[in-house]
Amino acid sequence: MRRAHLLGLGFMTPALIIVFLFFLAPVVLTAVFSFTSMSSGTGISGGAYEINEQTLRSLTDRGFPKAKSEKLGHDLYRIGEEGLGAVEADFGKAFADEIRAELSGELFEGRRDLERELKKLRSRPRSIRDLKKAADLFKRSVLNTRFESETAFLDGVGETGVELTADDQAVLVKTAYTGWSWTTANYELITSMASTWRAAKNTAFYVLLTLSFNVGFGLFLAITTFYLPKGQAAIFRAIWILPRILPPVLYVMMWKWLTWDTGFLSIFLSNFGVEPRNWMLNSDINAWVCIVLINGFVGASLGMILFSSALRAIPPSMLAASEVDGANRWQQIRHILLPQLQWPILFTTSYQTLSLLTSFDYIYLSTDGGPGRSTEVWALYTFHTALNNYGGVLQYGLGAALALVLVVIGIAASLFYLRLFKFNELVSQPRIEQ
Amino acid sequence: MSSNFRSWPMTLLLGFLSLPIIVMMVYLFVDTVTDTTAGSLIPDRFTLEHWRFLFDAPQAGRSNIWSVTLNTFIFACSTSAIVVMTSLTSGYALSRLNMPYRRLLLGGVLTLHAFPTVTLIISIFLMLQMTGLYNSLLGVILVKTALELPLGIWVMKGFYDTVPWEIEMAGLTDGASRFTVWRRLVLPQVHPGLAALGLFSFLAAWSEYILPQVLAPDGASQVLATYLQNLIKDDRAPDFNMFKSVGLFYAMPVMIIYLIFNQKLMNIYGGGTKG
Repeated sequence: MRRAHLLGLGFMTPALIIVFLFFLAPVVLTAVFSFTSMSSGTGISGGAYEINEQTLRSLTDRGFPKAKSEKLGHDLYRIGEEGLGAVEADFGKAFADEIRAELSGELFEGRRDLERELKKLRSRPRSIRDLKKAADLFKRSVLNTRFESETAFLDGVGETGVELTADDQAVLVKTAYTGWSWTTANYELITSMASTWRAAKNTAFYVLLTLSFNVGFGLFLAITTFYLPKGQAAIFRAIWILPRILPPVLYVMMWKWLTWDTGFLSIFLSNFGVEPRNWMLNSDINAWVCIVLINGFVGASLGMILFSSALRAIPPSMLAASEVDGANRWQQIRHILLPQLQWPILFTTSYQTLSLLTSFDYIYLSTDGGPGRSTEVWALYTFHTALNNYGGVLQYGLGAALALVLVVIGIAASLFYLRLFKFNELVSQPRIEQ
Repeated sequence: MSSNFRSWPMTLLLGFLSLPIIVMMVYLFVDTVTDTTAGSLIPDRFTLEHWRFLFDAPQAGRSNIWSVTLNTFIFACSTSAIVVMTSLTSGYALSRLNMPYRRLLLGGVLTLHAFPTVTLIISIFLMLQMTGLYNSLLGVILVKTALELPLGIWVMKGFYDTVPWEIEMAGLTDGASRFTVWRRLVLPQVHPGLAALGLFSFLAAWSEYILPQVLAPDGASQVLATYLQNLIKDDRAPDFNMFKSVGLFYAMPVMIIYLIFNQKLMNIYGGGTKG
C-alpha cells in the first residue's frame, strides 16, 4: 500500500471509529432491540425468576394446571437440614434432634399441621409463641422470592413438592422470568394499534403542511428581500434568521408566552372583548396552526438563506435587460428568478421532508402531542413510547420497532438523494498520486 | 435592486408578517427588566428582580445556575473541539488523498449527513445505559460530537477543495512529505473554515435540548437548555419574566456570536442542510 493510502486511512480513523460507534452500531442495535420485549419493567440486562400473584394469574391463562399453580402460591413447611440448623441455634440442640428423629423429610401444607406435630414432642418450647416461631423456621415458599438463575428457581420449585411435567416446567420458567426476551410481538402491535395509524396520519399531515409553508414562505421571503433596498433587506433577513439561531427551548418558550392564556395574544384580544384562552392548546386546529408556524418559521428561514444566495448569482444585467424589454415584476419572477431556484427548491424540499419526518423537538417542547394526542407525530410517538412516558412503563422494544421504520425511511431517502444530487460529480479524483 | 418598482408596499407587508417575531424579541428584552400589571401589555416599573436567579441560592431540587452554565460551556467547547479536530483530518483525506474505498467513504459521509440521527436516540440511550455512560456529561458530549461530525467533515472537505493544488505540488517538489505539506501549507489556508466550523458546532451544542434531556437528565449534568425547560415545566403559575431572564442569559452567547460572525456562519448554513 502506498504511503498516501496509509496517511489517508490514518486521517480517517478517528472519524471512522466515531461513525462506527454512534451510527452503525445504533442502527444495527435499533433493529436488534426491536425484536425484544425490553422495557423499564424488564430492565435491559438479564432478569431473574420470580413467582408473584400476577405470575400465578397469567400461569392459569397459559394453560398451567390450576391445582399446581395454587399449590405454588401456598406456603409449605418442609423439615430439612436448613430449618433444623436454625431451630438448633434458637431453641437448643435437644429440640432440633428430636424433630430430626421424628419428622425428618416430612412436608406440611399449613403451619397449623406442623404445630400440631411439634406439640407432641417432649423437648418443645413451652410458650405457644415460641412454638409458632419454631414452625416458621421450616417455611419454604417460592412466592415473591427472587432466584437469580433458572436452576436455582427449579430447585426452589422442586422443594415445594409440586410435580411438573416438561410442558408445565417450560411455561412456568417462561412466565416467571422477569427479564426481556426475543419476540416479534412489537411488529404485530404496530400494525394492529389504532394509535400507530393516527400517528402515521398526523405525520403525513404535519410534513405536508409544514413543508409547503417552509418552501412557500421561504420563497416569498427570498424574493421580496431580493427586491428591497439593501439596508431593509438585511434587516428583514436578520429578523427571519432569529427563529433558526435561537435555542429551541427559548424560542418555544416565547411562543408559549405569545399564545398562553396569560400571554400576549389573550391580553391583546381581551381589549376587543375576546375571552382569554390558551391559544396553543385549546383546540386541535389551534394546536396544528401553532406547530406548523413554530416549525415553519424555523424552516422558512433556512429556505430563505438558500434561495437568497441562489438569487444573488443572477447577473444584474439580465434583470435590467428584462426591464428594458418591459417585463413586469411578475414576469421577472416567473421567468428569471424561479428557474434559477429550481435546484435549491428541490434540495430544500427533499432534505426538509426527511428532517420533518423524524424531528420532534419543537412539537415536544410546544404541544407535546396535545391536546389529547391530536398533534402526536410518529417520531414523537416513538419518543413517548420508549423514553418519555408519564403513565407507566417505558417500552424500549416497541419504541425501537417504531424507530426502525424511520431509520429505514431515512437510509432509503439519503441514498436516493445521493443519486438525485449527482453524487458522481462530487467525487473528483485527487490530482497528486503520491 | 431595480428602480422601476415601488418598494414600500412590500416593506409594509413584510413588516406586518414579521410582527410576531418582532413582538417576541422586543418583549424578550423588555420583560427581563420590567414588571407589568396583570392584564396589561405595557410595562410600568423598572426592576432587576427577575435576574435574582443569578445570585440567589437555588431552590431545593434545582441546580445552581453557575454550575449549569459551566456544564453547558464544557459540553459546547468539548463537542466543538472534537468535531473540529476530527473533521480537519478526515476532510483533508476525503478531499485530497488517494486511498482505498474513497468513493464509499465519501458516499457514506454524505448519506450520514442527510440521515436523520434523532431516530437512533433509543438505541443510543440503551447503549449508554449498558456502558455506564448514561447520566454523564461525557456520554452526551460523545453522542453530540458523533451527530455533528458528518456535517463537519463535509464542510471541511468543501474548504479543502478550494485550496489550490499548486500550493501542495510546490511543497512536494521541494521535498516535503504529504503530512508536512498538510500541516505547514494547507492548514493555514483553511483557517477561516476551521473557525466557522468551530463556532457552528459550539452553537449547535449550546442549543441542543433533546440529547441532554434524554441521556443525562440528572441534576449534576444539567445544561442550560434542560434547566430552562425544567423551570417552565415545573411552574404551576408561569413567571414568564423570570423564564425570559434565564432564557436571555442562556441565549446571550448565541446572539453575540451571531452579531460578530454572521457572515462566516452563513457560509455553513448555506451548505448545511439540517433543518
